[in-house]
Amino acid sequence: MAEQPQQQMSEEQVKALQEKLKQMSPEELKEFQKKQCIFCQIITGKVQSKKVYEDEHVLAILDINPANPGHLLIMPKEHYSIMPQIPEEEVEHIFLVTKTLSNASLRALEVQGSNIIVANGVAAGQRAQHFMVHLVPRKENDNVGFEVPQKTLTEDELQKIQKTLSEGLGAKMEKPENIAPVPLMPKETNVVEAEFMEKPITEKTIKKKTIKKEEKQKQIKNTETIEKRKQKKQTKSEKKQTEQKQENVNLDDIANVLGAK
Amino acid sequence: MTSRESCLLCQIIGNKIPSYKVYEDDLTLAVLDVNGANPGHCFVMPKEHYPIIEQVPDDVLGNLFIVANKISSAIFETLKVQGTNIFVRNGVPAGQTVAHFMVNVIPRQENDGVNLQWKPKQLSEEEVSTIELKLKEEIKNTGVQKIEKTEKPESAPKEVVTQSTPAIDDEDDYFMKQLRRIP
Repeated sequence: MAEQPQQQMSEEQVKALQEKLKQMSPEELKEFQKKQCIFCQIITGKVQSKKVYEDEHVLAILDINPANPGHLLIMPKEHYSIMPQIPEEEVEHIFLVTKTLSNASLRALEVQGSNIIVANGVAAGQRAQHFMVHLVPRKENDNVGFEVPQKTLTEDELQKIQKTLSEGLGAKMEKPENIAPVPLMPKETNVVEAEFMEKPITEKTIKKKTIKKEEKQKQIKNTETIEKRKQKKQTKSEKKQTEQKQENVNLDDIANVLGAK
Repeated sequence: MTSRESCLLCQIIGNKIPSYKVYEDDLTLAVLDVNGANPGHCFVMPKEHYPIIEQVPDDVLGNLFIVANKISSAIFETLKVQGTNIFVRNGVPAGQTVAHFMVNVIPRQENDGVNLQWKPKQLSEEEVSTIELKLKEEIKNTGVQKIEKTEKPESAPKEVVTQSTPAIDDEDDYFMKQLRRIP
C-alpha cells in the first residue's frame, strides 16, 4: 500500500492538534484532511505518480509498493476516508472503472485473475486517509498470500446476525426453515459435491418503508456533476463494449477454467 | 459457460438451497457466509450467472457494489466492528472457487486472523515503465475512456419493515473518529 510518510510529532504537538481537530466542523475537517492527504496531492498533480487512467471523477495509478506488477490504486478525485461516505453514483462509477481496468490488465499483462480489495478502517488494513480500491493482477504461484480464514458459527449465532443485519439494511429476511444452510465456500475446491437439501424458502410478506438516506452522502457538488453525466448518457445509445471485445481474448478461457473446477 | 444447474450460488438464488439472506432486490442477493472469516461475513452476488467480473453488465455491477457498500455500512452500524473489507476473487489464481461472480464483505477487528496485506515486490524502473505503457495502450484500445454512467437500476429492497435503526449515531462517531485520525 502506498503510504503517507510518517512525520514525527512531539507529544505537545499531537495534543495541540487533537484539540484543534476536536473543535473543527466536519466541513473544516474535510478541508484539513484534504490538505494533509498525499493522494489529493497526487490527484492535483503536486505529487508525481504513474497515472494509467483518468476521468472527471476517478484516477488510477500504479501502486509504488505493489503486491504484483500492475497493482493499481483506483481513487475518487473527491476526498473520502471510507466507502460508506461515498455517494451511490460515485461508488457505481468507481467500480465500473475497476472492472474495465481489470479487463485491461488481463489483456495487457498476461495474468489470469485479479483481486479487488477495499479496506475501511485501520483494523481492516487501511493505511491511507483517502478511500481507494486496490486492483491486484494475479497469476498462479505469484506468492501473494491473502488469507481469509473460515470460522464456524452456530445456527443460533448465524440467525441472530441475519436478523440484526437485515434489519439494519431495512429488510426483513426469513430465516431458513430448520435447515442448516450449506457452506458456500467449502474448505477446498470441490464445490458441487456437497449434499443439498431441497426445500424452497417461502415467499415472504412485503412491507414498505421509506429508507433513510444518509444526507451526508449527498453532497451537492457531487450530485451536480453526476446529473451532468446522466444527461450525457441519455443522449448516447448504450454500447456493449465488453461483449464486443471478448472474442479476441481469454475471458471465456478464464471463466471456463473456473467452471471446470 | 458452465451449466447453471450445477452452480451452487444459482441454486441459492433459486431457493433450492437454504441460506441466511440479509438483502435481496431484483438484481442482487446477499447472504451470510456460513463459514465466514468473521461473524457477519457476507457474499453479495448478482442473481444472473456470470463467472467473472469482466462479464457482469455495468448496471448489474453498479448495483452489486452499491449493495455491498450498504451492507458494509450496516455492518458498521449494527455489529460494532472496527472496519470492513470489500474483497473480490476474480479468476482461479485470485482464489475464486465458485464460478459465479461475487463480492465478499468482511467485518473486521484487530487481530482477527484475516490478512489482506502483501509483501511489496521490488520492480525496476524499466519494468514499471513497461507495465505503465502496456496498460495505457490496452486502456486506449479497449476504450475505457468511454465509460458512461449507466441508468440507475430501479431496484428497491424487496422487503422492508417500518423500523428505524437506532445505531446511526455510532456510525457518525465512526466517521468522526476516522476524520479525526491524526495523519
